Amino acid sequence: MTLTLAIDTSTSRTIVGIIDGDEVIFEKFHEGATDHGRALSQLVAEALKVSRPPKQVVVGMGPGPFTGLRVGISFAHTFGLARNIPVIGVCSLDAIAIDANEYTVAIDARRKEIYWARYKDGVRIEGPSVNKPAEVDGFILDQYPDMKKLVSLSTSQNVTEPMYLRRPDAVPTAERT
Amino acid sequence: MQPIVLGIETSCDETAIGIVRGRTLLANVIASSVDEHARFGGVVPEIASRAHLEAMLPSIERALKDSQISLSDIDAVAVTAGPGLVGALLVGVASASGLAQGLGRPLYGVNHLAAHVSVDYLTHDQPTDPTIALLVSGGHSSLLQVDDITGSITKLGATMDDAAGEAFDKIARILNLGFPGGPAIDREAVSGSASAIDFPRGLTTTNDWATRPYDFSFSGLKTAVARYLESTPSFVRADVAASFQEAVVDVLLLKALAACKSSGIESLVIAGGVAANSRLRAVATERCEKAGIQLRIPSPALCTDNGAMVASLGSLMVSAGRPATQGAFDADSSLKVEQVSL
Repeated sequence: MTLTLAIDTSTSRTIVGIIDGDEVIFEKFHEGATDHGRALSQLVAEALKVSRPPKQVVVGMGPGPFTGLRVGISFAHTFGLARNIPVIGVCSLDAIAIDANEYTVAIDARRKEIYWARYKDGVRIEGPSVNKPAEVDGFILDQYPDMKKLVSLSTSQNVTEPMYLRRPDAVPTAERT
Repeated sequence: MQPIVLGIETSCDETAIGIVRGRTLLANVIASSVDEHARFGGVVPEIASRAHLEAMLPSIERALKDSQISLSDIDAVAVTAGPGLVGALLVGVASASGLAQGLGRPLYGVNHLAAHVSVDYLTHDQPTDPTIALLVSGGHSSLLQVDDITGSITKLGATMDDAAGEAFDKIARILNLGFPGGPAIDREAVSGSASAIDFPRGLTTTNDWATRPYDFSFSGLKTAVARYLESTPSFVRADVAASFQEAVVDVLLLKALAACKSSGIESLVIAGGVAANSRLRAVATERCEKAGIQLRIPSPALCTDNGAMVASLGSLMVSAGRPATQGAFDADSSLKVEQVSL
């Protein structure tokens, strides 16, 4: 298996891992919804100290609050460029590990909404979408992407665009009232 | 050894990468999302931030190609840490951190405003400091005293309301000239009379000169133009554009030259997007010549937001032996101009 630097900033946590196949060499997170920038480079520096140079980067592409999400993706892109190693994007919600056959996971999307997706037998069967909590049945909140699972997704996914799921808030001048 | 520095700028709607070797410009790549903002009449932060992420890798690759260097040749990375739109800045800072950490090179988080002034080092042989600097753009209007571009900048004054470029945008909008307003008004004014209408010069009363000589205000001017248009149905658009532009240019230079005179510094750098304005360049040349002040205005491409200015300041910091930014840092949307680097 490829020695991998794993990064996810789609939630209030900044999560960094170094994964080698089944082995988790490093995994650490920092809690703080506006701390992604500072936390990410600190955690990566820490991770690189305990590991041989990674051969690829796997990064969570969301969905997640935009500003923090972009920090992880931006960092992953340029780190990969600098090392000349591949960067693979995966769906962050898919990396939340739940021990059940059928479940729905959700993370805070702010503005009283959630990003969510539904899974059955290890396959995403609905979502990712953004909705009000009342519109989604029985979801599991407050779980976070697992770096080993994030990396395992990279063999079957390659998400190249951030999963924003919302348009930017702005009204064209011509449509203003 | 002249350091090779890659600079990243994302404080507003330009994703810009510059590469310099010492004081020689090697590449200056700018990807702008301005067209996507035009229908909103101004920069939409979320649109700008998304565009930065999209444009970042292609822009870096293009800059490397233009400069004919490889990433491993880079000695240091510099990035605009602020001031600017926080979401936009964060894309640049995270990209710069990833690059610096990936390469194992030092990272300099620098001030956008200081970088605007420092770009002059790429176009002139003689050292620029000490100098008075007039920094005018869509987001900023400041008058600075620069004693050492890598570490000692004093703010003499700034706008109390709109930035000069913002005033251009707003007046262009009410004149139906489109966005961005600076180039549009500049073009329209060519066929108009600058003395047709006597618009007010903000903060130039005797009392203002005594209490806040180097501050600017453009909101009164904006109101005066709006009132004029309301009360003059047969207005000549080119005359309004030219007279408005003249009022802005006049007050900017009155205050900049007053700062030169009172500080005894016979050098003026004008930088920022509004420094690309042809009337400002012409009147500044004329008045500085008359006053015996050495004037430097970077070429128009280096006046608007660009990566070369960030690389330039980074290069000057390396050459001056200034330490790189220690540890991880965040973007600071309201970084003060006195703080040249983090």
